[in-house]
This record gives sequence, C-alpha cells and structure tokens, in this order.
Amino acid sequence: MHAKQKVWLWNAVFVAAIIAMGFAVYLSGKKIDYTWRWERLLPYVVNTEPQNITAPRDGTIEIAPSGKQVTVVMDDGSEPLVIKKYSQLLVSDGDLVFEGDTVAQLEQWQIGPILEGLIVTIEISVYSLVFALILGLIVGLMRISANPAARKLAIFYIEIIRGTPLLVQIFIVYFFIGTVLELERFTAGVVALSVFTGAYVAEIIRSGIQSIPVGQMEAARSLGMSYPKAMVYVILPQAFKRTLPPMAGQFINLIKDSSLVSVISITDLTKAGREVVSGSFAPFEVWFTVALLYLLLTSSLSWGIQRLEKRLAASD
Amino acid sequence: MTNRNEDMIVATRVDKFYPGGVHALKSVSARVKRGEVVVIVGPSGSGKSTFLRTLNQLEEIDSGSILIDGMDMYARGTNINKLREDVGMVFQSFNLFPHKTALENVMLAPLKVANRKPDEVREHAKELMYKVGLAERMNNYPSQLSGGQQQRVAIARALAMRPNIMLFDEPTSALDPEMVGEVLDVMKGLATEGMTMVVVTHEMGFAREVADRVLFMEEGALLVDEKPDKFFDNPPHPRLKQFLSKIL
Repeated sequence: MHAKQKVWLWNAVFVAAIIAMGFAVYLSGKKIDYTWRWERLLPYVVNTEPQNITAPRDGTIEIAPSGKQVTVVMDDGSEPLVIKKYSQLLVSDGDLVFEGDTVAQLEQWQIGPILEGLIVTIEISVYSLVFALILGLIVGLMRISANPAARKLAIFYIEIIRGTPLLVQIFIVYFFIGTVLELERFTAGVVALSVFTGAYVAEIIRSGIQSIPVGQMEAARSLGMSYPKAMVYVILPQAFKRTLPPMAGQFINLIKDSSLVSVISITDLTKAGREVVSGSFAPFEVWFTVALLYLLLTSSLSWGIQRLEKRLAASD
Repeated sequence: MTNRNEDMIVATRVDKFYPGGVHALKSVSARVKRGEVVVIVGPSGSGKSTFLRTLNQLEEIDSGSILIDGMDMYARGTNINKLREDVGMVFQSFNLFPHKTALENVMLAPLKVANRKPDEVREHAKELMYKVGLAERMNNYPSQLSGGQQQRVAIARALAMRPNIMLFDEPTSALDPEMVGEVLDVMKGLATEGMTMVVVTHEMGFAREVADRVLFMEEGALLVDEKPDKFFDNPPHPRLKQFLSKIL
C-alpha cells in the first residue's frame, strides 16, 4: 500500500511540473509584446476559403437541363471547360463570359502549404529510410566480411560519412554530384539523407550481427547451409530483432535531419514553415505548429516500431 | 559392399595450429567404420573438441587429410556444404535457433538446403520429434524448453538432414544432472539403430556401455585407441591411467 501511494504522489508531481512549465510558457508569451493570432495560421494548414472557377478564354455558358453540369463553350472552338462540381453558380444559361470571369465557386477544403510541406517531408523520409536500410545492410555485411577489400571499403565509407556534417554532405551532393549527374533537388536530398543514414545503419546492423552467438552460425553451417542462407534464415532475423531499438532512434533522427534539405530549396515542412512565416507574420505560431507536426511523425514511427518489437518478442 | 565404403571417417596425420602458434592437433590419425560408435575422452584443452570439429570443417586443418564416406574434404571440387549435409552435429550449448519453434528448427534445413517438399518435411520432422520424445512440445520456442529438451530437439534437427554420421560435442556438459539421462537415452537409441557416431564426452558410463572404441587425447595428440573393456580395465598408457584415476 505504502509503495503504491508513493507512485501516485510522484505521478502527481510529474503532472504538476508539466502544468507549471506550460504556465511559464504562457506567462512569458504574455510578457513579451506579441499578439497571438492562431487564426491566421489556419489557411496555411487547411484552406477553407471557397475557390473561384474562372473561364480560361472568352466563351458562352451552356447549362445541362439537369442543372448538374455547366459547360463553357469557347469562342475559338478549343476544348470546352466542363464544370461538374460547384457549390454556387454565378452565371446563367446563354451568358457570355470573358477570359478570367468567375463562372462558379467551389467550397472545398484545400491543403495549405504547411501540410504540403509535411507530405514532402514524409515522402523524402520514407524514400531515404528504404534506401538507407538497403545500403546499410549491404555495407554492414561488407564490414564483417572476410574479404579485406569489401571490409576496408565499408570502413572507408562509414568513417567519411560519420566524420563530416550532414549539411556539408547535402551541399556536396547537390552542387557537385548533382551537377555531374544532373540530379533533381528532391533526388539529391534523398541521396544525401540515405547515404548519411546508411552509414549509421551499417554500424547498427554490424553490431546486431556480432551480438548473435557464434554457435548460431556454426549450427546453421553444420546443417549444410551456405553462408548467405545461414545469414538470411538464421542470423539476420535474430539480429533484426535486436537492432530495432537503435534503428528506431536512427530513423527518428532521419526524419528530423530531413529538415536540413530545405537548404537546397526543397519545400519540406521546415521550408514551408519559413515561407509561411513571411506570409503570415506569425512566427511563433508557425514554428510551434511545425514542431508539433515533426513530433507527430517521429512519435508515430516509434509507436510503430514498438508494436513490431512486441510482436517479435513472442519467442523470448 | 566395397571396402572403401566401410570406412566412414578416415583422418590421416591431421595437424592444426591456432593463431599464436598453439599446436592444437599433433598428427592425429583415426578411422571410424560404418555403424561404429567412437567416444573421445581426455582432459580439457586436449584437442578432442577441436578434432571433432575438423570432421565437418568447423575448424580447418593445416596439414593431413580427412575423408568422409570416401570424399576427400580438402580435395578441389569438394562441396563442403554438401558434405556437411551428411554429417550431423550436436553442440554442447544446443545452439537452437531461438526465433523458431522446436518443429521449425527441425524443418528449416530440409526445406531451405535440401529443398524437400514441405508436407514431407513436416511429417519427417514430427516423426523425429516423436522419436526424441518431444511430440508434445513441438510448437514451443527453445526458451520455453528445458536444457535436456533443447538438446533432444538439437539431435532431431541434426537427424532431419538424414545424415550418415553424427558428431556430438560434449552434448551433456551444459545440462543439469537430472537431464543427462534423457539425452544419453536418445543417443543410445541412435547407436542401436546403427548410426555412425563420434562422441566427445565426460560420461564414462556411456563410453563403457555404448562405445565400440574409446580414444584418449592429451595435449593435441591421440594416445590411446582401444575397445572399452581394455581401455577402462587395463589402460595401456600411463597418462590414461593417471586421467582415469582422477575422474573415476
């Protein structure tokens, strides 16, 4: 009973500390001369303004008898504009419209630049994660290979990548390799991130494989398995399980590091945030939102990996 | 049956050095005939495990030759993986695959190495689990089994490849005393069926009862190769006499 009461007490202390911190943030927000305008941020996340549908060229309006479909027949005989979805019609049958006239309005939510940036961040992280995993697996296996050339190449790669800053690597990939191979920004970003993360993944995989007792490889080989088969069916499945926690950490780092690709003008979440700040004049609100979105990504990743760990723990 | 097939293992003047210059095996020569059970004993560090492990090339040798069922292990063109399919091995520390159930442990190599049909492999694996007395524990993971049970699964796993030779590397040394018997019983059963076996062990009772011949190794050299009665009752080598007086 006594121990249980103490746990409750300390949980209460935790909640109190969090509330105190929140209050401190609130107070400091009050103290500085800053007007919080969260409502300004909304259009940049989700745009709820009705959209105008305009005539691309001069033409005549034709409304189908059912009233469901509006067609703008072009005077120059080019492809007519067919509008099937609208919420409010601003013209009637037979009206003449000129280029740029608003024909109808559509009330539909549209994703704003911040969500677009979030999607780019997710895309770049997923691509980099997959490539980093493949690259890391290959280099990790080379690192423990008996072949000196493979082993030394792996060490060379790992040391170079871990010894230089990611930001510098992004510049080199974009300005040097990107120029030579004519890479797009997005590709250059993915290449830089996967090459960087791959080096760390290789070390994680190497330590994972080396943590498996030698007897496992011996047992597999003595059953007649070749080295690759023993790796695939016996060693790697066990190593994979052990590497999950450090791997989760590495991939969370990958998501956060992806913010650095904004320096080569990829409009990811961070760059979108910068752009929205200059449009909305609400820097505090924007950066808090951006941070929250990153937190959402990283925490769902670590939640997913924890689920996987639990499922693989069946044989423990 | 030709005479060549009668010799399942022929080791001739096998030498091995460990890195650092330790002379682990000193010109060891031994023969094992089809269906024979040969037990190797000796003090720790005598090279008996090392010698056993050279018989499926878990340890490479520096000179000499080893023939398994007429195949020269170190000849050009010998496929070591093929050769190992014919030589089952049981380890002191079981080395079961912890991420697979007992039955999956037994099924893995026949499926992935021998490419046998899954249904046939499953049936054979179940038979083997029954044979080692673990039909009830087939779907347990190794962590849910006792040491003796794990070792019996390991024996079933080695038998699943239908080997002609079984090597046992101190199979009962890591077991609690009450579990030694169940593993030895399975091994005795195998010997009765005519399996060719090489066993490194400290179980002198097993050696006396089951072995056709007993070898004594010390400091990397093979000193005695005798039938069990003479080996134990009338030791032909002074070092063996010393060894036996310490353990019996």
